[in-house]
Amino acid sequence: MASHESTNDVDRREEKRDSDGGSVATNVVPRPIPGERRKVALITGITGQDGSYLTEFLLGNGYEVHGLIRRSSNFNTARLDHLYVDPHNAAKARMKLHYADLSDASSLRRWVDALLPDEVYNLAAQSHVAVSFEIPDYTADVVATGALRLLEAVRCAPKPVRYYQAGSSEMFGSTPPPQSEASPFHPRSPYAAAKVAAHWYTVNYREAYGLFACNGILFNHESPRRGENFVTRKITRAVGRIRLGLQTKVFLGNLSAARDWGFAGDYVEAMWMMLQQEEPGDYVVATEESHTVEEFLQAAFSYVGLNWKDHVVIDPRYFRPAEVDSLKGDSTKARKALGWKPKVGFQDLVKMMVDHDIEIAKREKVLVDAGYIDAQQQP
Amino acid sequence: MKEENGNEEAPQPPSPTQIGGGVVPRPVPGEQRKVALVTGITGQDGSYLTEFLLGKGYEVHGLIRRSSNFNTARLEHLYVDPHNAAKARMKLHYADLSDASSLRRWVDALLPDEVYNLAAQSHVAVSFEIPDYTADVVGTGALRLLEAVRCASKPIRYYQAGSSEMFGSTPPPQSESSPFHPRSPYAAAKVAAHWYTVNYREAYGLFACNGILFNHESPRRGENFVTRKITRAVGRIRLGLQTKVYLGNLSAARDWGFAGDYVEAMWLMLQQDEPGDYVVATEESHTVEEFLQAAFGHVGLDWKDHVVIDPKYFRPAEVDSLKGDSTKARKALGWKPKVGFQDLVKMMVDHDLEIAKREKVLVDAGYIDAQQQP
Repeated sequence: MASHESTNDVDRREEKRDSDGGSVATNVVPRPIPGERRKVALITGITGQDGSYLTEFLLGNGYEVHGLIRRSSNFNTARLDHLYVDPHNAAKARMKLHYADLSDASSLRRWVDALLPDEVYNLAAQSHVAVSFEIPDYTADVVATGALRLLEAVRCAPKPVRYYQAGSSEMFGSTPPPQSEASPFHPRSPYAAAKVAAHWYTVNYREAYGLFACNGILFNHESPRRGENFVTRKITRAVGRIRLGLQTKVFLGNLSAARDWGFAGDYVEAMWMMLQQEEPGDYVVATEESHTVEEFLQAAFSYVGLNWKDHVVIDPRYFRPAEVDSLKGDSTKARKALGWKPKVGFQDLVKMMVDHDIEIAKREKVLVDAGYIDAQQQP
Repeated sequence: MKEENGNEEAPQPPSPTQIGGGVVPRPVPGEQRKVALVTGITGQDGSYLTEFLLGKGYEVHGLIRRSSNFNTARLEHLYVDPHNAAKARMKLHYADLSDASSLRRWVDALLPDEVYNLAAQSHVAVSFEIPDYTADVVGTGALRLLEAVRCASKPIRYYQAGSSEMFGSTPPPQSESSPFHPRSPYAAAKVAAHWYTVNYREAYGLFACNGILFNHESPRRGENFVTRKITRAVGRIRLGLQTKVYLGNLSAARDWGFAGDYVEAMWLMLQQDEPGDYVVATEESHTVEEFLQAAFGHVGLDWKDHVVIDPKYFRPAEVDSLKGDSTKARKALGWKPKVGFQDLVKMMVDHDLEIAKREKVLVDAGYIDAQQQP
């Protein structure tokens, strides 16, 4: 014990060194070789789905992770709570959160300069396609110009910083599948158009300034942590509540839209891999399997022995002004050059999400039965 | 059965309907409901104001930011799924104070009778960290909203959420005529918003009011404001889920009231014949230490056993002492606070004890771990 500079909680982790690694909070933390300092990552959008999986992954790789979050009078760090160590508790808290905003260039510059990260992952966005039709200006400012502001901060830093830009299959839009890095963009929403702008800012900064900047063109990626108004999670949340008798119907839009859906936990690994290469580049990340919303419904409801047709109502308000009919990625480049491949397939993804949302519905039921909350009104 | 109903004009049954649990006064036929637009509706004041306005028969629209996290917790009890009831009288729309276009769009689409600008980056300490963002939303955002209101095709009454923080280091008691001396980017931005509002009233004849509200708290207060931070800690400490709470300057003195009382003052300002600016306050000042004493004392604990001072919570520039002079509001509006300091503290502690009990139910059922706490 004498030779360790560590505190008690680090010692506990050492005891687990030989046991199988579980979740990161109790997992083995690779110790940096004395003299070698930890790599530092800065993540925008850390409070979102991808942000939380990426943070777990990087912490597991021994990184110090800093995240930029918006300030709200509501609690917005639910996806990070299991990773959060109160700074009063442990000198070795390796995830730290700071206030900033993609619309505020000054805040981005301040944190890049203060932290001098080795890697920056720009995951922040107004990320809902349908909502982008309602708040296009805001979406464009955060998603497009925000990326530019962050690139500027990185470019001006006094040391080399590697930059990852979260691209999106939505950029391909109406271009017919399968879509690869060489397929033309044809964005069908303000969100997608803004992502196209951010893509080209990133390419331009790479070409003009020699920045190690990569675009990850990720196709849809889901998980139990997905936001509840994205269709996959909306469905699995509904399945859980319907199964527990807390809800009866779910209202949806276009059931024929086809997407290439993977597991977000697999996809964040691809992000990191891109930044470990000798040369920067742009990569499609996808399972290469496409399914319609109707197939997702079929899988999700039947998994708990229900018939989706008994519970789904079509509501025209959920149709998009301009639709993206069919996405199916060609991820040959990522699989060859990065050695990446997805581990979780479509059926397992659906099961994972439904299982999780059944647990959440059970928890809601515990509180309903204990009289703490009313079952929320549902049609 | 028209004959049976006789002279009754209302086609619906005479008993009141329940919406979100409250009684809804029915509008007199021929008279349409007043429409209110509330920015910052997801916050503490937004939720109390919405309840109050719904209780007065208004149709309430709120502007909210989009997040992949759930941010409408304070409104859940008022929310009626639109698929459920044609008569949902509270509706939420996406917008942002930084986005002039979104503000203009909703003012034009809804043509509200009244607009309440409660939205802000509302934490004083955080404003030292993100001053640009704070200034853009709190200062320029107010201007964007005033512009949208000014350009609307019908007269709209506008309420601007001012703050006692604007008085800053000006010694107490502070009234409408006391000089401003803001001590944070938050306060300075609020001063800007105050003067934009006055200017739009004077230049364009807009019915625009500044509510200079002193601190107002409640069980719905955000958890990193000192009062709620304390009562949340008291609840968790009492239930054995926590042992310490870290605080900053215990000598700061504030005039604390109950938010539910204060939103009524906002509405009253917009019902007058003439627009004006009003201080709203209890006229009683207490230190953070006194709040600690009352909160811990309410559950039989000694605050000194549980409080640790952490210099990170001290402000770069402090506001030592606020105590409002609300004579004008009491006379002209007939407003007065109903909940005093001791009752406010009890209300908050009682609520946070219930929340801690609920956390304990889930901890005991194995659903969550008691969060790490020093």
